[in-house]
Amino acid sequence: MTGMDNALATVTVRVNRFTPRPERERAARGGSPFAKARRGGSPFGGGSASSRNRRPRGKHWTQDYTLTVRPEDTVLDCLLTIKRTLDPTLAFRYSCGHGMCGSDAVAINGTPTLLCTAGVKDWAKRPNQFAQTDAEGFRHTGDDATDEAASGETPADGGAANDLGVIELSPLPGFPVQRDLIADIDPMLDQIRKLKPYLQADGVLATTAEGKVDVFEYLQNPEQLTKYEMLSNCIACGVCEGSCPVFAGGDAFIGPAALIAASRFVNDSRDTALDTRLDAIDTADGVAACQSVRACSRHCPRGIDVGEEMWQIVAKVRER
Amino acid sequence: MSPKQLEDMYDAVIVGAGAAGLSAALGALRSPAIEEMRASGIEPRILVISKLQPLRSHTGSAEGGIAASLGNVEHDDWHWHYFDTVKGGDWLVDQDAAKLLAEYAPQTVINLERQGVAFSRTADGHIAQRRFGGHTADFGGQPVRRAAYAADRIGHQILHTLWQQCVAAGVTFAEEWYVTDLVLDGSDDGGAHVAGVVAYDTHSGEVHAVHARNVLLATGGAGRLFHTTSNSWDLTGDGMALALAAGMQLEDIEFVQFHPTGLAHTGILLSEAARAEGGVLRNASGEAFMERYAPEHRDLAARDVVSRSIMAEIDAGRGVADPKDPQGPKDCVWLDLTGIDRDHMEAVLPQVVETIREYAGIDPATDWVPVKPTAHYTMGGIPIDTDGEAYRWTADVDGVDGRTIVDGLFAAGECSCVSVHGANRLGGNSLLDACLFGTRAGTRMAERIAEAPAADPTNDDVADAATEVDSLDTASTLRKRELNELLTAAKPADDDSAAENDAYGATADGSAADDNPYRLLADLGRVMEQALAVRCSAQTIEAARRTLHDDLMPRAVALHAHSDVAAFNQEVTAIWEARHLVMLADAMLDATDARHESRGSLMRLDYPARDDRRFLAHSMTALASPAAQHTDDERLHDVRWQPVHIVDFPPKDREY
Repeated sequence: MTGMDNALATVTVRVNRFTPRPERERAARGGSPFAKARRGGSPFGGGSASSRNRRPRGKHWTQDYTLTVRPEDTVLDCLLTIKRTLDPTLAFRYSCGHGMCGSDAVAINGTPTLLCTAGVKDWAKRPNQFAQTDAEGFRHTGDDATDEAASGETPADGGAANDLGVIELSPLPGFPVQRDLIADIDPMLDQIRKLKPYLQADGVLATTAEGKVDVFEYLQNPEQLTKYEMLSNCIACGVCEGSCPVFAGGDAFIGPAALIAASRFVNDSRDTALDTRLDAIDTADGVAACQSVRACSRHCPRGIDVGEEMWQIVAKVRER
Repeated sequence: MSPKQLEDMYDAVIVGAGAAGLSAALGALRSPAIEEMRASGIEPRILVISKLQPLRSHTGSAEGGIAASLGNVEHDDWHWHYFDTVKGGDWLVDQDAAKLLAEYAPQTVINLERQGVAFSRTADGHIAQRRFGGHTADFGGQPVRRAAYAADRIGHQILHTLWQQCVAAGVTFAEEWYVTDLVLDGSDDGGAHVAGVVAYDTHSGEVHAVHARNVLLATGGAGRLFHTTSNSWDLTGDGMALALAAGMQLEDIEFVQFHPTGLAHTGILLSEAARAEGGVLRNASGEAFMERYAPEHRDLAARDVVSRSIMAEIDAGRGVADPKDPQGPKDCVWLDLTGIDRDHMEAVLPQVVETIREYAGIDPATDWVPVKPTAHYTMGGIPIDTDGEAYRWTADVDGVDGRTIVDGLFAAGECSCVSVHGANRLGGNSLLDACLFGTRAGTRMAERIAEAPAADPTNDDVADAATEVDSLDTASTLRKRELNELLTAAKPADDDSAAENDAYGATADGSAADDNPYRLLADLGRVMEQALAVRCSAQTIEAARRTLHDDLMPRAVALHAHSDVAAFNQEVTAIWEARHLVMLADAMLDATDARHESRGSLMRLDYPARDDRRFLAHSMTALASPAAQHTDDERLHDVRWQPVHIVDFPPKDREY
């Protein structure tokens, strides 16, 4: 039993939370004739509905939860424990819990990645008083490891030896927050949809040796499959988009996820729409906007070297 | 994505956007009936409502393959697939349905390929196929390579391809909406028809009445009834519970498949492909024990056989502890993959290897992997015919089929039961069931749509609108009221602390006042695991029923939210999910209780033998009307027995 106790440790999960303004307050505003007029059509553009959705008002704050965990637990395990035992109001998307569904992309310590593939021991950082927000809500920045003040401030009380430190969570960068760790990733899905992400094949049915029509699969040898198989593993989680400094903050650049989706079909030997696909991304907000920063490659949960694939598709467009 | 505005009346609402729901949408839109309708200028009004963005559906986690007798690698015959399916299901399979499944499997798989699925290939460019448990040549002979695969990501490939095709077809989605009610009109004893569904938009927190002439439920399984499950957190049996609450029966819900190789206590699945590629199960002393239980097929015997063999080893004291919990119970065995060449393993089992490394911290090329049976698939569900139409069953009288179709109600996929899986599903048959019968349901639905399209200007809606709107709007009003109660209960005394309610943790002492749905779900999982996982008896069932009735059900009723903000309030959805699961658990206990035999995935310790004389029949479980409820015990359900459709294969012993 004591052997088990040694494996346990404490960790503080620091969540940047957000609650949208409750509906009834909006409804109360809707009662004003001015508010109604504004809702009907803003003079500053037709997208009043979408811009309202994308910039919800509400309350932002930071909340710490301290739990007992095993170092091998995932950050998702921690959040589920919080929901069950500490705070059922904490909102975050999750579903399969093992990196296949793509629901749970967030920023952990500022880095976009999936909650369910992130291990506590890999992400927890020793407490650092300068990493915490002060009374005004500002946070000092600096290197944890070399900061003398930080180690000096480490609490000397009992659990310190088993204290793994802090994991800080925020919603996926580059997308509007909807509540707590839930971000609105519809802009990404819209961009993927815009590039016709479906096979456009010739539709020709194969014929048998005697010339009879037979419904066969399209033939594709393993080498042809290899050209796009990795790309087809994309789960549209948005980690690459959240990491991309060009994508962040605006929706002009079509983004790495949509380009990966396009590239998947460009490289599929069955697809017949190569030229129109390349045309569609050969724009200022398409491949031309990629600055080859390659931050998109770092945490792809499917192991796609997104930056390299961007480079390849840019080259394909240029070489036409 | 949400619809800009709701139509007054939909031709069809599809609930769920996994393989079955998306196949149904495509099946409907591509059907000749709809094409003809469109040619005459009438657009179908179809809405797919899903509690997840479709790409998050659990279909995406299927790893191993989709079965079809393509014969691309070795000679195969769909009749053999048909037989294997019947035998795998321990003869509790409706053979007319299984025949369709096997016969149209090759067409289904080829159509998936032609839509874009990146299947693994043979050297000459055909779809590659691998062995899978229970799939044989010559009616139970040697194993045959029948499962078409895409490395070990076939579900991901199929899900994404179907979604892509729905994008191409312009399907309208209401994403992250949760359906709270299925509303039927008309008499319970016949003449019932669909009025629509009540749906909760989790983004806005609004409740909507969605009127529809046809409703198709494709919400997946109910693995979250159990503590250790391979299912995602969203598999909460919603469709089955909706049907049950609407007065429908559920068929064969006592049959739950436990996949033999969950990764120890995580429940995360290690695909059967691991054993197909040469993985061997070993007990504490290193013995490859499957040789003793299934001499011919060994580690590739049907899943229930392997799960029970593992449990027998554990019961005999030959189990091992999860290395992550070395002092814990010895409730695992080893999966030995060290005989597989490392490069080959990486190439054909990338997902399995990654899961083991990430969640167990083990290198499968050098170390044995701890595994444990994990709740995987619900064979039973909403009773449907082979066109996906849901029905109620009374009794077959003088050769007249006792099935009465509920007009406009359809189901497909894991939440349905056309009964191709019987008492135990064969690997590779679930994606096939979802795609094939999903498509068939969509096609049949399209015929109904074309008869009286909602958008037809010449179609006079007034008559049925007057009667139908009532019951649906009533249900919607009740649900709105309930939502308000759930939210107002959360309203704290001090308004400012609404959001940053630190006090919650401090006061959480397990008392009813501080209960929440996540805690309830965890407790339910433990109760059901003890009662029904792999084995059960009247005793375990009764103990679970008592806990359910005395503790979990009252707690489910008393749940309320802890934040009064409706938008993205996940706890509200979780409360409804918890209530669905508790309801379903009770029905599952009663159905299990009623079947006094062991068959397929159901192992009753008090009735260890199969009993064809009494139980070669589907259990049909419905909530008993209050008047008919047993007064002498606590059972809330009425269980009837529908004969199995035997066509070609009379029951035999099921040996592997």
